[in-house]
Amino acid sequence: MPSSRRHFLQRAALGGAGLLLAPLAGLHSCAPGSSRSHISGSLHGANRATGHLLRDPASLPAPTRTEAVEVLIVGGGVAGLTARRELARLGLRPEQVLLVELDEQPGGNSRAGRNAVSAYPWGAHYLPVPDPRNHELLAFLAEAGILTGTDAASGLPIYNEYYLCHDPEERLFIKGHWQNGLVPELGVPPAEKAQLARFFALIDELRQTVGTDGRDAFRIPVDESSCDEQFRHLDEQPFAAWLDAQGFTGSHLRWYLDYSCRDDYGAPAAQVSAWAGLHYFAARKGRAHNANGADVLTWPAGNGFLVEQLRAQAPSPIRPNTVAFALHATPTGLAADCYNVATRQTVRVAARQVIMATPSFITERLLASLPAAAYRPLPVHRAPWVVVNLTVEGLPQGPGQPLSWDNVLFGTDSVGYVDAGHQSLSLTDAGPRVVTWYRPLSAPNPEAARRQAYQTSYDDWVRQALAELETAHHGLTAQVLRADVWVWGHGMVAPTPGFVWGPARAAAARPWQNQLFFAHTDLSGISIFEEGFHQGQRAARQVLAARSTGLA
Amino acid sequence: MDKVPVRRVKRPALGASTAAAVAPTDYRSTLLLGSVFVIATCGLIYELIAGTLASYLLGDSVLQFSTIIGAYLFAMGIGSWLSRYLGGSLLRWFIQLEILVGLVGGFSAPLLFLVFEHVSSFRLILYALVGLTGVLVGLEIPLLMRILEGRFEFKDLVSRVFTFDYIGALLASLVFPLVLVPQLGLIRTSLLCGALNVVVAGIALYRFPETRPFRRSMGGALVASLLALAVAFGFAERLQAYTEGLAFQDQVIYTKTTPYQRLVLTKNQRELRLFLNGNLQFSSADEYRYHEALVHPVMQALPQARRVLVLGGGDGLAVRELLKYPQLQHIDLVDLDAGMTQLFQHNQMLLELNHRSLLNPKVRVINADAYQWVRQDSSRYDCIIVDFPDPGNYSIGKLYSAAFYRALEQRLAPGGWAVVQSTSPYVARRSFWCVAHTLEAAGFTALPYHCYVPSFGEWGFVLAGRNRHWRPDAGPLPPGLRYVTPATIRAMRFFPPDMSEVPTEINQLNNQALVRYFEEDWGPYVH
Ligand SMILES: Cc1cc2nc3c(=O)[nH]c(=O)nc-3n(C[C@H](O)[C@H](O)[C@H](O)COP(=O)(O)OP(=O)(O)OC[C@H]3O[C@@H](n4cnc5c(N)ncnc54)[C@H](O)[C@@H]3O)c2cc1C
Repeated sequence: MPSSRRHFLQRAALGGAGLLLAPLAGLHSCAPGSSRSHISGSLHGANRATGHLLRDPASLPAPTRTEAVEVLIVGGGVAGLTARRELARLGLRPEQVLLVELDEQPGGNSRAGRNAVSAYPWGAHYLPVPDPRNHELLAFLAEAGILTGTDAASGLPIYNEYYLCHDPEERLFIKGHWQNGLVPELGVPPAEKAQLARFFALIDELRQTVGTDGRDAFRIPVDESSCDEQFRHLDEQPFAAWLDAQGFTGSHLRWYLDYSCRDDYGAPAAQVSAWAGLHYFAARKGRAHNANGADVLTWPAGNGFLVEQLRAQAPSPIRPNTVAFALHATPTGLAADCYNVATRQTVRVAARQVIMATPSFITERLLASLPAAAYRPLPVHRAPWVVVNLTVEGLPQGPGQPLSWDNVLFGTDSVGYVDAGHQSLSLTDAGPRVVTWYRPLSAPNPEAARRQAYQTSYDDWVRQALAELETAHHGLTAQVLRADVWVWGHGMVAPTPGFVWGPARAAAARPWQNQLFFAHTDLSGISIFEEGFHQGQRAARQVLAARSTGLA
Repeated sequence: MDKVPVRRVKRPALGASTAAAVAPTDYRSTLLLGSVFVIATCGLIYELIAGTLASYLLGDSVLQFSTIIGAYLFAMGIGSWLSRYLGGSLLRWFIQLEILVGLVGGFSAPLLFLVFEHVSSFRLILYALVGLTGVLVGLEIPLLMRILEGRFEFKDLVSRVFTFDYIGALLASLVFPLVLVPQLGLIRTSLLCGALNVVVAGIALYRFPETRPFRRSMGGALVASLLALAVAFGFAERLQAYTEGLAFQDQVIYTKTTPYQRLVLTKNQRELRLFLNGNLQFSSADEYRYHEALVHPVMQALPQARRVLVLGGGDGLAVRELLKYPQLQHIDLVDLDAGMTQLFQHNQMLLELNHRSLLNPKVRVINADAYQWVRQDSSRYDCIIVDFPDPGNYSIGKLYSAAFYRALEQRLAPGGWAVVQSTSPYVARRSFWCVAHTLEAAGFTALPYHCYVPSFGEWGFVLAGRNRHWRPDAGPLPPGLRYVTPATIRAMRFFPPDMSEVPTEINQLNNQALVRYFEEDWGPYVH
């Protein structure tokens, strides 16, 4: 069937965008002569080049001028943007706050891309329906029009139906068939089914469990979870070992749990703590009038939508393309040297207070010239990730449940793909769409995995993604219009045993001399939107408390 | 040995003692007995395929099935009788026969599907093919029995051959409806059985030393046949897609594949029928019932109405009814498919049917996605007619969601009413009430009603307004209606116990409850 005019135009636009982007991101092509030779696209790397300037700050120009602000925020991820929003809510004026972000746009791990066909996520892509006790988060969602009201009878929040993930939500490709839901069912032997049931019964119980301190055993944000020893000791052992000890050994259950850990932490059950492994399930306490606890909120741009809302909810300036590379103590506070990659100039920003909303390995480098007490080291296990956005003419389907939002292939080491067009209200499924394929490069040694990831070619990434997807979507390769790849060298924090409840995490979050504050999901040990939001809000409030005590 | 009874005629059970008296057998005899089993299974499956296809394509399943079976059995009798004329190398005959059965039987389903649309005398081809397959299959068992003749005692031979024959038949009758048709579909099932016959030929060819002299020549034919079947198997999907729209009872007078659907128009002396993706959209014989019931209960209650919105309904038939109200000044019709609206703006027969409604200057035809259009549009309408396809998939299910109805509410003028076609309250009772409950959840007063349309059965609609001020005899009805009167409207509001209200979930974008109900409700009727 000839593709329609609209499709043709989209196709032409895709090619054009590719050409336009070419000088920026570099347009790569797949190996000539291969079945992928028609595929090209961009290869990004969490701004590897810019980030690596930090390795060698001496090579950067000296500051040509100095600016002054009250509060400087370094890093425009979820945590930094939330801090910026919270400072505005707490009364700071726009000119008192400045946020610098090394990338050309804010968002960090939650940023999004867009082409002629659709917006699509580059990293984070959903927010589970939140625990209604998380009032601060709910207030943000209400301001963003995501939460539209409260049901008078139940008191439960009502969410915008266009943002609640439409049905069908999830499917799993197993034994040649797409089944509904991600928990393996098809062909699972009865003994294993019993184990699955036992595991979920245990989770239901843990979800209700409250510690002697009156706090939930598992809660988001993690800092509101119970401090009871009986739960905290779960943080000392690997999840996999705990599962073995509990007799949770069935291969389907274990694949599913590994998948879950890789999906949220970038690391399998053997590398994260039992506390974190259970937290993934037992801390999900979302409730809503028009959704259930397992539902999620999602957008074509993924959490890029939330980033945009966060950005829009505060007026203070955001300076993109700007790398903070060194912090100094001054008589009145701190100063940060910030290099602008576009103008190639360095500006010194003097601030009474600085919020470091950067990952710990960057924070450590930036604070190198401050007194040792300013920074408590926080070693983080961080798996690299690769994300491939495939713009496809169509998606040949196998038997079973139709295309869903989240599509996972049993037994693979990716975590599947999400369909950016899922929330579309169009009557037609046909026509081009964008799907986002995720793979954590989980390895015991993330450093080696990172090195290897940076050496892997564009063609290799595309080949790997398609080799996997072809098993469920035969003939997909020929339908690919464009493939854009992002290598997240530093991905996200993995809650390895001892990390969440160990001393280093708590210490690293403590402000220094009412001047230096820390906000990043690294400080939660669990990298999800809610934690980023919590960290940003906590840091902003600490800043304000410090100002009002007059000690700053 | 040439008097072999026709198979599958009831006969007394074979004595247990006979069956137990196992004669010493060599492995070649076992192979041949095994092939009886395969042959019997395939033979019955061909018969079932022909019967099923005939009732699919020609309708009236009882008649089609029994005449097909009769013809097939009779042809098998002829085959059995003909077997006496086969002489010389029986094994050679048998191998040739199996290849032939494989080809004729294997290709029977794809062939029948393909020729259906293109020949006028489909029945002739159908029965010719059934006859040919029957004759060939009828030859098989007698021939095999003659081959095995010397290897067994007669009573053993008869006992064994028929035991396998009947077990094969049992297996066929079970796997055909339970496994093969649901998993593979008719075309692939047919090809698969064909391949099995050819494999039987292959085993005979390569396991019996007597076949050496003609191994080469026949081996070639064998491989070629197998290849042909395999290739066809690979293309079965396309074939199926190609032939899907063809299963119509009447003469097909127009077909068109638009980017969104396949339109097929059929005609007989009495009526014109439109099918969308194989589903009947209307029959000209009784569509007036459907469209009068859709339009007049809501319109008679709105004598002041000026502006109407029609969603779906690209056939212009609802608009035809609307144009009977001279007070209407403007009608917007939103239908996704330009192929559909153009057909109903240009085809002479269809223009007669819809009274050129889509060419009327009061009517604006908009080809757009209804959901997006409703959300983006900013005008208000006194009346909205929602005539979408049934909620058979997730994309359409969104057009029946509470969110959609809330968006629709934004387009309704104060005091306005909408009406929603909402599938059959008899066949899909939960689906129907789910639509009504969803409208209520979206803040509407929902007034359900139903009417009987012979070619559809009981059909349901829901009136939706912001208040309860609706009366069945509020205003004058246009002259000339054939079905709707104030009394009809009152009667349509009454639901007998077998269609009365049942509790349901609300259809939301994040649960798509309706699509699930719909699948379950209609499931037993469509397969
Ligand atoms: C592939 C992937 C998928 C994910 N999926 C989900 C999901 O579906 N749902 C979910 O909730 N979470 C998901 N996450 C987790 C995600 O990390 C968090 O949701 C959240 O985005 C983390 O925000 P952050 O502010 O803590 O950190 P970051 O996103 O790391 O933000 C740090 C920011 O600081 C900037 N920066 C760094 N150094 C400097 C410097 N020197 N100067 C200036 N700026 C600097 C960076 O560019 C970045 O913008 C995913 C993560 C990845 C990698």
